[in-house]
Amino acid sequence: MAKKEKKSKLDAKDNGTRNIVIGMIILVIVVGAITAITKSRTNSHATAPSAVATSDGYGIEFNKSAPVKVDFYEDFQCPHCRDFEVVNNTYINGLVTAGKIHAVYHPMSFIGPESILTAAASACASDQGKFLEMHKALYQNQPATENDGTWTNAKLVQLGQSLGITSSAYDNCVNKGQYINWVNNVENYAGSQNINSTPTVLINGKTLPQGDYLDPVAFQAAFNAALKASRVK
Amino acid sequence: MKKFFTTQAQPWITLLARLILGGVLLAAGWIKAMTPTEAQSSVRVYQILPTGVANSFGLILPWLEIGIALLLVIGIWVKWSGFAGGALMLLFIVAISQAWARKLPINCGCFGNGGITADGKVHPWVYATEIMRDTGLVLCAAFLMRFPGGKFGLDDRKGS
Repeated sequence: MAKKEKKSKLDAKDNGTRNIVIGMIILVIVVGAITAITKSRTNSHATAPSAVATSDGYGIEFNKSAPVKVDFYEDFQCPHCRDFEVVNNTYINGLVTAGKIHAVYHPMSFIGPESILTAAASACASDQGKFLEMHKALYQNQPATENDGTWTNAKLVQLGQSLGITSSAYDNCVNKGQYINWVNNVENYAGSQNINSTPTVLINGKTLPQGDYLDPVAFQAAFNAALKASRVK
Repeated sequence: MKKFFTTQAQPWITLLARLILGGVLLAAGWIKAMTPTEAQSSVRVYQILPTGVANSFGLILPWLEIGIALLLVIGIWVKWSGFAGGALMLLFIVAISQAWARKLPINCGCFGNGGITADGKVHPWVYATEIMRDTGLVLCAAFLMRFPGGKFGLDDRKGS
């Protein structure tokens, strides 16, 4: 009789520990999920670079009145984005400087922390009128391995200076992470548009098919077709 | 032999199954919880849920996985946490199979991986290996539902 009583007391004690553990696990899940959801929210108060329109998914814009709008979703750490850049850079930059293309750049950051830093730095460079130069330089200096420590704020400040940026506003912008929240907004918008791979290029809202990214003739043909169509209208 | 299984081997196999299923879920959940935007994309690519729903699910799923994993590793409600883990794996198998059938690339990120390469070629092994791994985990889950009692689980300490 006494033995049985002792045993049930032990059970009760065990159940207490068990309940505490269960409670802790539930707490971890709930806090984790809620934090994830709140952190991922688009921050409407985020400071954005001057070339950005929230209506175009927080992208960095050139030539808003040009007839053909092209959205570029890319990640500065993505090797295929570099390949796309190598193949098409001269042509696209030519269109931008000639004012023939309404280009919207969406620097994504899903590859990791160094994608966030590079995307934010490209926005800082945009404020100095050096986005295209920075864009090119980031790909030219892309490390072979992702997130290997190549991109730090100090390196990005240096890179900007090597492109002829002299303003201390740029250094501050990079070092203070002025556009980190904006980078998150860009990523969120891309998510809401179901963008799942980089590079993804949309010409007047139409996705460039997968096989066309490394073929310079394909992009030029698609762009010219869109240009023609816009003239007919 | 049968007696050896029930008294000697089974509790250890249960422990092993708990650690395998729980370990995989914990690792997968943790990696995804640390890279939320990638986790969202990895739900979207299956193109089952509407984009908005997929994005929310992508944020919650890693924490569900971590929760189930902790229950399994610590050994609480093994029968039902095993069921939940197995159900998740079945869900993944269905998702991967339909992606395979629809020729959808399944790993997010740069194109060129995830079953379909830039030239549009389908690589069945990518889908098949994922399905085989998940099938193994479903077997672990089934074993746990049949034999929830094992070694070193919190629930194993009860004097029943």
